[in-house]
Amino acid sequence: MKKLTIMVLTALLLVPSFVFAQGSSEKDGNVTINFWTHEDTNRQAIEDGYIAEFEAANPDVTVKATRQASKKMIELIQTAFAAGEGPTIFNLESNNANPFVQAGRVAPVKYEALGYKDAEDMKSHYIDGMLDPVTYDGDIYGIPFEGLSWCLYINKNVFKDAGLDPEKDYPKTWEEMVEVSEKLVIRSGDIIERRGFDFRYPYYLETLVPMVNQLGGSLFSADGSEAIIGEEAWVKVLTYMQNWGPNGLNLGSPTYKNARKLFNNNNNDIAMAMSGLYQEARIKSDNPDFYNSGEWMVVPFPVWEDAVADTSASFYGQFYMVNADESEKTQQKAWELIGSMLSHEQEYLSEVNLIPPTKELMNSETFKSMPYAEVFEGDMERAHHLYFGKNATEVQSLLSTAVNNVMLQNMDPEQAYQELKASVQELVDED
Amino acid sequence: MSKQPIKHYSIEKKQARWGFFFTVPCLIFFAVFSFYPIISAFVTSLSDKQIMNRTSEFIGLENYKYLFTKSNGGFSLLNSMRATITFTLGTFIPMVVVSLIIAVFLMQLRKTRYRGFFQIGFYLPAVLSSVVAAAIWMIMFDPRGIVNQTTNALLNTAGKDYGWLVNSTMLQFSTMVVYFWKYIGYFVILFITGLATIPPTLYEAATVDGSGKWSNFWRITLPLLKPTVLLVSVMAMLQCLKTFSTQYMFVQGGTSRPPIDVITMNIYFTGIKHGKLGRASAMSIILFVIMLVLTVVQFKISDSDDVDY
Repeated sequence: MKKLTIMVLTALLLVPSFVFAQGSSEKDGNVTINFWTHEDTNRQAIEDGYIAEFEAANPDVTVKATRQASKKMIELIQTAFAAGEGPTIFNLESNNANPFVQAGRVAPVKYEALGYKDAEDMKSHYIDGMLDPVTYDGDIYGIPFEGLSWCLYINKNVFKDAGLDPEKDYPKTWEEMVEVSEKLVIRSGDIIERRGFDFRYPYYLETLVPMVNQLGGSLFSADGSEAIIGEEAWVKVLTYMQNWGPNGLNLGSPTYKNARKLFNNNNNDIAMAMSGLYQEARIKSDNPDFYNSGEWMVVPFPVWEDAVADTSASFYGQFYMVNADESEKTQQKAWELIGSMLSHEQEYLSEVNLIPPTKELMNSETFKSMPYAEVFEGDMERAHHLYFGKNATEVQSLLSTAVNNVMLQNMDPEQAYQELKASVQELVDED
Repeated sequence: MSKQPIKHYSIEKKQARWGFFFTVPCLIFFAVFSFYPIISAFVTSLSDKQIMNRTSEFIGLENYKYLFTKSNGGFSLLNSMRATITFTLGTFIPMVVVSLIIAVFLMQLRKTRYRGFFQIGFYLPAVLSSVVAAAIWMIMFDPRGIVNQTTNALLNTAGKDYGWLVNSTMLQFSTMVVYFWKYIGYFVILFITGLATIPPTLYEAATVDGSGKWSNFWRITLPLLKPTVLLVSVMAMLQCLKTFSTQYMFVQGGTSRPPIDVITMNIYFTGIKHGKLGRASAMSIILFVIMLVLTVVQFKISDSDDVDY
């Protein structure tokens, strides 16, 4: 009985190693590509077609596409990699892509599969700085299917309903943003029925940091040793957010429904929202009548009246990358699939309004003829690349806490600044 | 040729062997889903393992030391312990008391079909996924949602925003409400099961002796229900200590994280979002120890004054 007990217990200890064993994506010479990407109905429509074409041309390849909410992508991918079950191809934005490159978890681009001679040749095709987050030691580890910065979408109907002229009265400065929003907002007591504008919470690296940059502040010192530089700038921005929130002028809050999602409905509940060029395709798909009515427009990212730097919302890329743990053959096929999809860059732009940020496309007639292309192009030119350092995700969380502290908890902006600085500095010192 | 000796087992041994075989599936389940993760988490907690790195180094108790001395990049373990204890005390005590009261009231109902109806009604939220429950309540807690509107109607404060998802205290209270609503029915069922085991003859005898309902409850029901009360309170407490989905969904919905940053959520953000698996594992082990200690304490407290009938 004792022997039996020992045998059974030993077997039990070994069970987990079988249960958690890894699978392979290559069987009998056939290649299975697990393709994880974020949800976008318009992009899915064209990519499913390209995948089908690729599978037809490569009978030994099966592509399993999985789509998840963009917010969940980083968590799902990191967890999968930690378990040794990362997807073959996945996409992440600049700040989340860079750590995968730094940690050696993604494979370098197979340039010939994408039609380039080498890294320099590939770089020369893209707008300056676009590939920085995925460049390491002279090699490139990802390819962007989208490069963008956010501008301000305006619903002209709501402006007119409030007695404003959208063409003249749209906010050019953050100070005007408050004035205009106060005219646009409708409340029932304390409860907001219609918002003028609301921020794109919690994407603060994209929007809040540029507001600080405009006032001369920054996330880090030039040598990276000190965090949260420019007390005056940070406190001014945090004070602005506090005034915006329910404990101030009550113009909006992170707990209200995402303004960008409401915008397309044209239901007289939001006048302005911040988004990229892709929003145009989403308006067209969600509410074609509103799209065709011409009752919407796009204007540049506002600046402060006393700004010392003219910068817009940070630009970032969405990069396709390939898992370095895959076999050489699978990696080759994966890059071929990516190359095959991105060879349709004109369709990405015309069908989905995503800008694969190549110089050729940015100068193409297709791009120039898009509604408000000049606004997006202008803002891209004055934008900085989104911060994509090692602790970008944590910094994003800490910025969110600082904003929530002042907006929702009514914390003194000076105190919120001190806490933010101490926390981000701790991350810097830890490195 | 020598004959093989025939082994003779006693009936007890034979029964024990069958018993052992029958428990094997359960042991396998425990080994895979509980024992292995606990050991693995403990080993990981002694390393500097990061989610993106392939290798890690043994760093002894550094993660534990760090968690009790540093702010964990602005999201300290001490704040998480405060948030968890506040949530647990604010949820599990009312939940045990109210579920007991409801169960006793339901047992008083003469028609069993009414009892069944209310049992199902109370239990229904427990069937819902926690994520769905939290999402529904977030809509209800919106300033234009039913909770704020009802509060305004009851208190005659039209247009007031009570800040259910904004104000720090209200936010903590809101998470407690969601949890209470979701699990109260589950514990009501457990109490009803416990109440059904008390022999009715005891009540009949007590009534003959002139005891009233109030006296019956304190002198018969509650003492005899002690094992169930212990079971329910331990289960409720452990569930509250492990709370995650409600707080996570609320934070995803835009609320502040620090007031409701319970340990499990901090583990998730530290390990999965920020990639510090070693540190997150140390938090898990600390939570495990807290749960173990509180459970033992609860058992010890209720060990005295056992009642038999």
